[in-house]
Amino acid sequence: MKVEVGHDIPPFRMEKVTPERMKTVAAIFRDPFPVHWDREATRAMGFKGRLLNQSPINLGYLINMLIAWAGPSCIRRIRTEFPRPVFDGDEVCAGGRVVALSQDQGETIAECELWLDRQDGVRNVTARAWVALPPDAS
Amino acid sequence: MIPNEDSMRALVGHRFPGGQYRIEHWENFLLSEATGAEPLPEQLAHPAHLFHVAINGVGTSISELFSLAESADGAPVSIDYYDWQISQPLREEQTYTLSGGITDFVRTSSDGAPTLDSFVYEVDLDDAGGARVATVAFRWHFWRVPAGGRDT
Repeated sequence: MKVEVGHDIPPFRMEKVTPERMKTVAAIFRDPFPVHWDREATRAMGFKGRLLNQSPINLGYLINMLIAWAGPSCIRRIRTEFPRPVFDGDEVCAGGRVVALSQDQGETIAECELWLDRQDGVRNVTARAWVALPPDAS
Repeated sequence: MIPNEDSMRALVGHRFPGGQYRIEHWENFLLSEATGAEPLPEQLAHPAHLFHVAINGVGTSISELFSLAESADGAPVSIDYYDWQISQPLREEQTYTLSGGITDFVRTSSDGAPTLDSFVYEVDLDDAGGARVATVAFRWHFWRVPAGGRDT
Protein backbone atom coordinates (compact mmCIF):
# COMPACT_ATOMS: atom_id res chain seq x y z
CA MET A 1 0.00 0.00 0.00
CA LYS A 2 1.48 3.30 -1.09
CA VAL A 3 -0.21 6.30 0.51
CA GLU A 4 -0.13 9.81 -0.88
CA VAL A 5 -2.09 12.97 -0.18
CA GLY A 6 -5.54 12.51 -1.68
CA HIS A 7 -5.59 8.78 -0.99
CA ASP A 8 -9.12 7.54 -0.28
CA ILE A 9 -9.41 5.26 2.73
CA PRO A 10 -11.48 2.14 2.03
CA PRO A 11 -14.91 2.74 3.60
CA PHE A 12 -16.52 0.91 6.51
CA ARG A 13 -20.24 0.27 6.20
CA MET A 14 -22.74 -0.50 8.96
CA GLU A 15 -25.73 -1.82 7.08
CA LYS A 16 -28.16 -1.46 9.96
CA VAL A 17 -27.82 0.26 13.31
CA THR A 18 -29.67 -1.97 15.74
CA PRO A 19 -31.34 -1.40 19.13
CA GLU A 20 -29.76 -4.57 20.49
CA ARG A 21 -26.26 -3.16 20.08
CA MET A 22 -27.31 0.14 21.67
CA LYS A 23 -28.62 -1.72 24.71
CA THR A 24 -25.39 -3.65 25.05
CA VAL A 25 -23.39 -0.44 24.87
CA ALA A 26 -25.65 1.34 27.36
CA ALA A 27 -24.90 -1.42 29.84
CA ILE A 28 -21.15 -1.31 29.23
CA PHE A 29 -21.09 2.48 29.53
CA ARG A 30 -23.41 2.46 32.56
CA ASP A 31 -25.46 5.05 30.70
CA PRO A 32 -28.83 5.41 32.41
CA PHE A 33 -30.41 7.77 29.89
CA PRO A 34 -33.21 6.28 27.89
CA VAL A 35 -32.65 7.71 24.41
CA HIS A 36 -30.64 4.59 23.57
CA TRP A 37 -33.15 1.97 24.73
CA ASP A 38 -36.67 3.30 25.46
CA ARG A 39 -38.88 4.22 22.50
CA GLU A 40 -41.55 5.78 24.70
CA ALA A 41 -38.96 8.09 26.19
CA THR A 42 -37.59 9.13 22.83
CA ARG A 43 -41.11 9.74 21.55
CA ALA A 44 -41.72 12.07 24.48
CA MET A 45 -38.44 13.81 23.72
CA GLY A 46 -39.38 14.53 20.13
CA PHE A 47 -37.42 11.77 18.39
CA LYS A 48 -40.57 9.97 17.15
CA GLY A 49 -39.75 6.81 19.01
CA ARG A 50 -36.44 6.23 17.26
CA LEU A 51 -33.46 5.31 19.39
CA LEU A 52 -30.24 7.32 19.16
CA ASN A 53 -27.02 5.46 18.56
CA GLN A 54 -24.29 6.26 21.09
CA SER A 55 -21.78 8.74 19.71
CA PRO A 56 -18.75 6.61 20.70
CA ILE A 57 -20.20 3.85 18.53
CA ASN A 58 -20.54 6.24 15.62
CA LEU A 59 -16.93 7.11 16.27
CA GLY A 60 -16.22 3.38 16.46
CA TYR A 61 -17.24 2.98 12.82
CA LEU A 62 -14.59 5.54 11.85
CA ILE A 63 -12.06 3.75 14.02
CA ASN A 64 -12.88 0.40 12.40
CA MET A 65 -12.22 1.93 9.00
CA LEU A 66 -8.83 3.27 10.10
CA ILE A 67 -7.81 0.00 11.76
CA ALA A 68 -8.73 -2.05 8.70
CA TRP A 69 -6.66 0.35 6.61
CA ALA A 70 -3.54 0.98 8.69
CA GLY A 71 -3.48 -1.58 11.50
CA PRO A 72 -4.87 -2.16 14.98
CA SER A 73 -2.73 0.38 16.83
CA CYS A 74 -2.44 3.04 14.13
CA ILE A 75 -4.44 5.92 15.66
CA ARG A 76 -2.39 8.65 17.31
CA ARG A 77 -5.14 11.23 17.62
CA ILE A 78 -8.75 11.53 16.55
CA ARG A 79 -10.96 14.58 16.97
CA THR A 80 -14.62 14.03 16.21
CA GLU A 81 -17.68 16.23 15.96
CA PHE A 82 -21.27 15.03 15.89
CA PRO A 83 -23.53 17.46 14.06
CA ARG A 84 -26.45 15.04 13.66
CA PRO A 85 -27.63 11.88 15.44
CA VAL A 86 -27.68 8.38 13.99
CA PHE A 87 -30.89 6.42 14.68
CA ASP A 88 -31.76 2.76 14.87
CA GLY A 89 -32.47 1.37 11.43
CA ASP A 90 -30.06 3.76 9.75
CA GLU A 91 -27.45 2.54 7.33
CA VAL A 92 -24.22 4.50 7.68
CA CYS A 93 -20.95 4.49 5.86
CA ALA A 94 -17.61 5.78 7.17
CA GLY A 95 -15.24 7.33 4.68
CA GLY A 96 -12.00 9.25 4.72
CA ARG A 97 -9.21 10.84 2.76
CA VAL A 98 -5.55 11.63 3.46
CA VAL A 99 -4.99 15.38 3.49
CA ALA A 100 -1.37 15.60 4.67
CA LEU A 101 1.66 13.47 5.43
CA SER A 102 4.37 14.19 7.98
CA GLN A 103 7.12 12.52 9.97
CA ASP A 104 7.02 12.22 13.76
CA GLN A 105 9.43 10.22 15.90
CA GLY A 106 10.29 7.90 13.05
CA GLU A 107 6.71 7.34 11.97
CA THR A 108 4.91 8.54 8.88
CA ILE A 109 1.72 10.20 10.03
CA ALA A 110 -1.24 10.56 7.71
CA GLU A 111 -3.58 13.37 8.61
CA CYS A 112 -7.02 12.33 7.46
CA GLU A 113 -10.43 13.90 7.03
CA LEU A 114 -13.15 11.47 8.05
CA TRP A 115 -16.91 11.39 7.84
CA LEU A 116 -19.88 9.20 8.60
CA ASP A 117 -22.76 9.54 6.14
CA ARG A 118 -26.29 8.20 6.42
CA GLN A 119 -27.88 6.31 3.52
CA ASP A 120 -29.65 9.48 2.34
CA GLY A 121 -26.39 11.37 2.14
CA VAL A 122 -26.75 13.30 5.40
CA ARG A 123 -23.38 13.75 7.08
CA ASN A 124 -23.77 12.74 10.74
CA VAL A 125 -20.18 12.78 11.97
CA THR A 126 -17.02 14.57 10.91
CA ALA A 127 -13.52 13.96 12.21
CA ARG A 128 -9.85 14.53 11.70
CA ALA A 129 -7.41 11.76 12.56
CA TRP A 130 -3.67 11.40 12.71
CA VAL A 131 -2.71 7.85 11.78
CA ALA A 132 0.67 6.12 11.87
CA LEU A 133 1.13 4.33 8.57
CA PRO A 134 2.69 0.90 8.23
CA PRO A 135 6.27 0.95 6.89
CA ASP A 136 5.25 -0.24 3.44
CA ALA A 137 2.85 2.68 3.01
CA SER A 138 5.31 5.53 2.93
CA MET B 1 -34.89 27.15 35.17
CA ILE B 2 -31.44 28.27 34.06
CA PRO B 3 -28.66 27.56 36.58
CA ASN B 4 -26.70 30.48 37.92
CA GLU B 5 -23.84 31.24 35.54
CA ASP B 6 -21.32 31.86 38.30
CA SER B 7 -22.06 28.51 39.90
CA MET B 8 -21.55 26.80 36.57
CA ARG B 9 -18.32 28.69 35.93
CA ALA B 10 -17.12 27.68 39.40
CA LEU B 11 -17.05 24.07 38.21
CA VAL B 12 -13.97 24.83 36.13
CA GLY B 13 -11.11 23.34 38.08
CA HIS B 14 -13.31 20.66 39.62
CA ARG B 15 -11.26 17.49 39.91
CA PHE B 16 -12.79 14.05 39.76
CA PRO B 17 -11.73 11.59 42.45
CA GLY B 18 -9.47 9.64 40.10
CA GLY B 19 -9.24 5.91 40.03
CA GLN B 20 -8.33 2.82 38.08
CA TYR B 21 -9.95 0.83 35.32
CA ARG B 22 -9.28 -2.60 33.88
CA ILE B 23 -10.88 -3.48 30.55
CA GLU B 24 -12.16 -7.03 30.85
CA HIS B 25 -12.14 -9.39 27.87
CA TRP B 26 -15.91 -9.70 27.89
CA GLU B 27 -16.53 -5.98 27.62
CA ASN B 28 -13.94 -5.61 24.89
CA PHE B 29 -15.58 -8.43 22.98
CA LEU B 30 -19.05 -6.92 23.36
CA LEU B 31 -18.07 -3.33 22.59
CA SER B 32 -16.07 -4.40 19.54
CA GLU B 33 -19.05 -6.39 18.30
CA ALA B 34 -21.33 -3.41 18.90
CA THR B 35 -19.23 -1.35 16.51
CA GLY B 36 -19.42 -4.12 13.92
CA ALA B 37 -15.82 -5.24 14.41
CA GLU B 38 -14.12 -8.46 15.40
CA PRO B 39 -12.03 -8.24 18.58
CA LEU B 40 -8.56 -6.93 17.83
CA PRO B 41 -5.53 -9.27 17.99
CA GLU B 42 -3.06 -9.63 20.84
CA GLN B 43 -5.50 -8.47 23.52
CA LEU B 44 -5.70 -4.99 22.08
CA ALA B 45 -8.84 -3.21 23.23
CA HIS B 46 -11.03 -1.24 20.85
CA PRO B 47 -10.23 2.49 21.09
CA ALA B 48 -13.93 3.27 21.56
CA HIS B 49 -13.39 2.16 25.16
CA LEU B 50 -11.75 5.52 25.77
CA PHE B 51 -15.18 7.09 26.22
CA HIS B 52 -16.41 5.07 29.18
CA VAL B 53 -13.03 4.15 30.62
CA ALA B 54 -12.28 7.87 30.96
CA ILE B 55 -15.61 8.70 32.60
CA ASN B 56 -16.09 5.70 34.84
CA GLY B 57 -12.40 5.17 35.55
CA VAL B 58 -11.82 8.72 36.74
CA GLY B 59 -14.45 8.24 39.38
CA THR B 60 -17.43 9.96 37.90
CA SER B 61 -20.34 8.85 35.71
CA ILE B 62 -22.55 10.13 32.94
CA SER B 63 -25.23 10.72 35.57
CA GLU B 64 -22.90 12.78 37.72
CA LEU B 65 -21.73 14.90 34.79
CA PHE B 66 -25.34 15.75 34.00
CA SER B 67 -26.02 16.41 37.67
CA LEU B 68 -23.01 18.70 38.10
CA ALA B 69 -24.24 20.71 35.13
CA GLU B 70 -27.69 20.88 36.77
CA SER B 71 -29.26 19.46 33.65
CA ALA B 72 -33.01 19.29 34.11
CA ASP B 73 -34.63 15.93 33.58
CA GLY B 74 -35.44 15.58 29.89
CA ALA B 75 -33.46 18.64 28.86
CA PRO B 76 -31.35 18.09 25.76
CA VAL B 77 -27.65 17.40 25.98
CA SER B 78 -25.52 17.14 22.88
CA ILE B 79 -21.91 16.45 22.10
CA ASP B 80 -19.69 19.05 20.56
CA TYR B 81 -16.51 17.02 20.17
CA TYR B 82 -14.27 14.24 21.42
CA ASP B 83 -10.53 14.74 21.10
CA TRP B 84 -8.55 11.61 21.92
CA GLN B 85 -4.76 11.57 21.86
CA ILE B 86 -3.44 8.04 22.02
CA SER B 87 0.17 7.42 23.03
CA GLN B 88 -0.14 3.66 23.49
CA PRO B 89 -2.83 1.21 22.38
CA LEU B 90 -5.34 0.11 24.99
CA ARG B 91 -5.14 -3.50 26.10
CA GLU B 92 -7.43 -5.91 27.87
CA GLU B 93 -6.60 -6.93 31.43
CA GLN B 94 -4.30 -3.96 32.01
CA THR B 95 -4.96 -1.63 34.91
CA TYR B 96 -5.02 2.03 33.99
CA THR B 97 -4.84 4.96 36.38
CA LEU B 98 -6.99 7.96 35.55
CA SER B 99 -7.02 11.58 36.62
CA GLY B 100 -8.86 14.62 35.33
CA GLY B 101 -11.50 17.23 35.76
CA ILE B 102 -13.53 20.03 34.25
CA THR B 103 -11.32 22.45 32.35
CA ASP B 104 -13.56 24.96 30.61
CA PHE B 105 -17.04 26.43 30.62
CA VAL B 106 -18.75 28.78 28.20
CA ARG B 107 -22.31 30.12 28.35
CA THR B 108 -23.80 31.26 25.08
CA SER B 109 -26.94 33.36 25.01
CA SER B 110 -28.57 35.16 22.14
CA ASP B 111 -31.98 36.56 21.43
CA GLY B 112 -34.44 33.94 20.33
CA ALA B 113 -32.15 30.98 21.03
CA PRO B 114 -31.96 28.81 24.13
CA THR B 115 -29.11 29.38 26.54
CA LEU B 116 -26.31 26.92 25.94
CA ASP B 117 -23.82 25.86 28.60
CA SER B 118 -20.74 24.04 27.29
CA PHE B 119 -18.31 22.15 29.50
CA VAL B 120 -14.94 20.67 28.58
CA TYR B 121 -13.74 17.60 30.47
CA GLU B 122 -10.19 16.25 30.27
CA VAL B 123 -8.94 12.92 31.56
CA ASP B 124 -5.47 11.35 31.43
CA LEU B 125 -4.90 7.60 31.34
CA ASP B 126 -1.58 6.23 32.54
CA ASP B 127 -0.29 2.69 32.60
CA ALA B 128 0.97 0.83 35.66
CA GLY B 129 4.42 2.31 35.14
CA GLY B 130 3.10 5.86 35.01
CA ALA B 131 3.55 6.30 31.27
CA ARG B 132 0.83 8.23 29.46
CA VAL B 133 -1.51 6.02 27.45
CA ALA B 134 -4.07 8.58 26.32
CA THR B 135 -5.55 11.97 26.96
CA VAL B 136 -9.28 12.19 26.46
CA ALA B 137 -11.00 15.55 26.08
CA PHE B 138 -14.64 16.07 25.31
CA ARG B 139 -17.11 18.94 25.27
CA TRP B 140 -20.79 18.55 25.97
CA HIS B 141 -23.53 21.10 25.39
CA PHE B 142 -26.29 21.47 27.96
CA TRP B 143 -29.29 23.19 26.40
CA ARG B 144 -31.31 25.13 28.92
CA VAL B 145 -34.71 24.31 27.53
CA PRO B 146 -37.45 22.29 29.22
CA ALA B 147 -37.65 19.31 26.86
CA GLY B 148 -35.70 17.56 24.17
CA GLY B 149 -33.29 14.68 23.92
CA ARG B 150 -30.03 13.48 25.31
CA ASP B 151 -27.39 12.01 23.11
CA THR B 152 -24.41 10.58 24.85
